Amino acid sequence: MTQDPNAQAQIEPTELGANAAETGDRQLTDETSDAYGSHEVGVGNLDFATVAEMGHTATQLDPLAPAVLSVDNLKMYFPVKSSGVVRRTIGHVQAVDGISFEVPKGGSLGLVGESGCGKSTTGRLITRLYKPTGGSMMFEGQDLAQLNNKQMKPLRRDVQMIFQDPYTSLNPRHTVGAIVGAPLEVHKIVPKNQVLKRVQELLEVVGLNPEHYNRYPNEFSGGQRQRIGIARALTLNPKVLVADEPVSALDVSIQAQVVNLLQDIQTEFDVSFLFIAHDLAIVRHFCPEIAVMYLGKIVEIGDRETIYGRPHHPYTQALLSAVPDVKQAAIGGRRERIRLEGDVPSPINPPSGCRFRTRCQFAQEICAKVEPPLLQIGQRHKVACHFAGELGAHPATPVTTALLGVDDQGSPVSGAAPTNTQLTIPGYEETWYDLKTRQTTGV
Amino acid sequence: MSADTAGPETLGSLSDEPQQQDPNSQQAKEIAGKSPMRIALGRLAKDKIAVVCALVVLFFIICAVFAGPICALFGVDLVTPLASERVDGLNKGLPKPEMGPPNGPFTWDHPMGVAPRTGEDNLAYWLYGCRVSLLIATTATIFASIVGVVIGLLAGFLGGTVDKVLSFFIDMFLTIPFLLAALTMAPIINDRFNTADNYSTIQKVALVIVLSIFGWMGTARLIRGEVITLREREFVQAARVMGMPTSRILFKELLPNLAAPIIISVSLMLPTFVALEAGLAFLGIGVTDGISWGQTILKATNLTFFREYPQYLWQPLLGIVALVLSLNLLGDAVRDALDPKTRR
Ligand SMILES: Nc1ncnc2c1ncn2[C@@H]1O[C@H](COP(=O)(O)OP(=O)(O)OP(=O)(O)O)[C@@H](O)[C@H]1O
Ligand code: SF4
Ligand SMILES: [Mg+2]
Repeated sequence: MTQDPNAQAQIEPTELGANAAETGDRQLTDETSDAYGSHEVGVGNLDFATVAEMGHTATQLDPLAPAVLSVDNLKMYFPVKSSGVVRRTIGHVQAVDGISFEVPKGGSLGLVGESGCGKSTTGRLITRLYKPTGGSMMFEGQDLAQLNNKQMKPLRRDVQMIFQDPYTSLNPRHTVGAIVGAPLEVHKIVPKNQVLKRVQELLEVVGLNPEHYNRYPNEFSGGQRQRIGIARALTLNPKVLVADEPVSALDVSIQAQVVNLLQDIQTEFDVSFLFIAHDLAIVRHFCPEIAVMYLGKIVEIGDRETIYGRPHHPYTQALLSAVPDVKQAAIGGRRERIRLEGDVPSPINPPSGCRFRTRCQFAQEICAKVEPPLLQIGQRHKVACHFAGELGAHPATPVTTALLGVDDQGSPVSGAAPTNTQLTIPGYEETWYDLKTRQTTGV
Repeated sequence: MSADTAGPETLGSLSDEPQQQDPNSQQAKEIAGKSPMRIALGRLAKDKIAVVCALVVLFFIICAVFAGPICALFGVDLVTPLASERVDGLNKGLPKPEMGPPNGPFTWDHPMGVAPRTGEDNLAYWLYGCRVSLLIATTATIFASIVGVVIGLLAGFLGGTVDKVLSFFIDMFLTIPFLLAALTMAPIINDRFNTADNYSTIQKVALVIVLSIFGWMGTARLIRGEVITLREREFVQAARVMGMPTSRILFKELLPNLAAPIIISVSLMLPTFVALEAGLAFLGIGVTDGISWGQTILKATNLTFFREYPQYLWQPLLGIVALVLSLNLLGDAVRDALDPKTRR
């Protein structure tokens, strides 16, 4: 019998001892803060969650916050070219294939998933490093997907990005002042002689010595460099920040400080985050809402308590079972780990029906025939699975047959009209499909 | 905050010192504001061979720039004298004994002797030959570098069709044999301009053009390759996310990072062009007015002169060899200094 401690214990969002076991072998003995001034935290021997909890509780969800960015059916297909002189397009990498979500104002949405599932591509679509193949991204009444580079330029002030690798995200030939001040010059916001003042102000905000503006990045440590990157993203007072694995290149103790800094920034400047990560403990701390991606699609999205406490999608359950749990270790029990068989299929030729079916232990005939819709099954919970259910309680028959007008094997039933009235919208609806009663219900 | 220990996260692959300093500490203050270029320069200054080569190159530059004043100092000039005053027509046209070696003792009137048959002063011709050599090599290097850098930047950064077209041109120019083209162009220029007053200037300009046209491809390839890797760096994406125009990304973000490959290609081109200039002059298709090391060598490779008056050949040859060698060695040292992998 599989047992999932997260499913049993009603874990509070602030209880974050979850990954101490993972970090036990990376204990730090020295003073580890890289911040200057008031951000100083002297900690030793601590893991991410413990450090993060010092004065910083996990961010809470504000369910009433309006959406600042709503992404609808976003698609990005990269053409695959044949080799040779005449390079024809022979296929497409379906890096992102129709995803919808909302980033609430002042809130943060976490995006998790295995390597190659399209998380970075999503971030780059929102910052318009790529032009999407389809779909829309509504931001302040404008569709970012439709704008050309010129129309996009004023909006770039509002949508900024924090990068993963602090060693390649700063130009090694520019001083910190030039790096952080560049957005001001590009957008000609303040006169040249005031750029320095703003730069020093920003350096102070991110916890660096403002006098270090004429140093080069090679004189800073990884954590300090990441702070410089954050200062650059903040220069233009953005409304949305896409953070693509902002701490995964950093040491664990520094991760906590940087995440805390991001949290401070969020409260101080009211920025919304799309937080991309694969460390589930950090996402849990930072994001009140989480979307799980698999092979270019969102398979489950919901608030933190639901995703961590009652995940319904077999893939989410497998991901969570891979996170070492300190409480489990303390009581001596061993949690069964759900092993995912096989490799992630190629996004060039994804499996039919449910994309996860090649590795799913519950997969049945219907999974190959019909793609499960991303169904809202709770107030703030959507899942895309024919056999959605809590771990150990997956239903025996598909829950989606009535909605899709198919039988249990996935073949269309003649005369049965699909009754699915749910449209896949970026946000949540007032009513949802209750799995137990198999009826649409409301609050 | 304690200053002497740094967190493990500071041990980045790019950190320069084995133990990275806390930027607030006293030691770190002293190294504040060091750009990667200055670090490379500091390393270069510690390299003895590099310093010697730099001094040799500097010597040649001084000779070239101050050819006039130096000539005046020694009281020599380029003016063709009445040959019979200086050379002995009866003795195969070799210099008279009063003119210095090979038949007489050293004389300050002509520190490097005079040319056989014409009696022209060797020092003056050597100095002005040095000037011509460096002038042509430097200008051709500048033009070839500019063309190469711009084409490499565009091909590497824009990619796609632009890259394909530009790469095709790079390959096309690489397939044209340089010597053949130079040999074909020389008679055309000769035929067209030999009556013009400024024929020797036209000749030099043509030479610079030919050298640049066949010299930019290496730089372009080097830069293109470098830009393709730089383009994927996150700081370029950060620049695009902040809405930086492409021209600014190319010239303000990428170009400063290309200093190393540019210096490397310059360090490869300069000595090549010095040698090529002399070689073409020797073949009679470069500078033909006599003021060039190559031309002097051409005159000196007469068997009689070489047997009786070898210094006449050694002088320009030594100039070329010393200049090319020190430029090459200096180039090597610069490349090492710029390469982070050779850091001690
Ligand atoms: N420019 C591109 N051209 C073609 N394919 C691409 C391109 N960028 C990404 N892909 C493909 O799209 C898929 C998703 O890539 P993406 O970088 O978004 O993954 P990710 O979720 O960020 O992974 P990771 O956790 O490793 O960063 C991958 O299969 C990748 O090979
Ligand atoms: S739809 Fe089927 S294959 Fe896909 S996750 Fe659910 S049970 Fe597994
Ligand atoms: Mg990624």
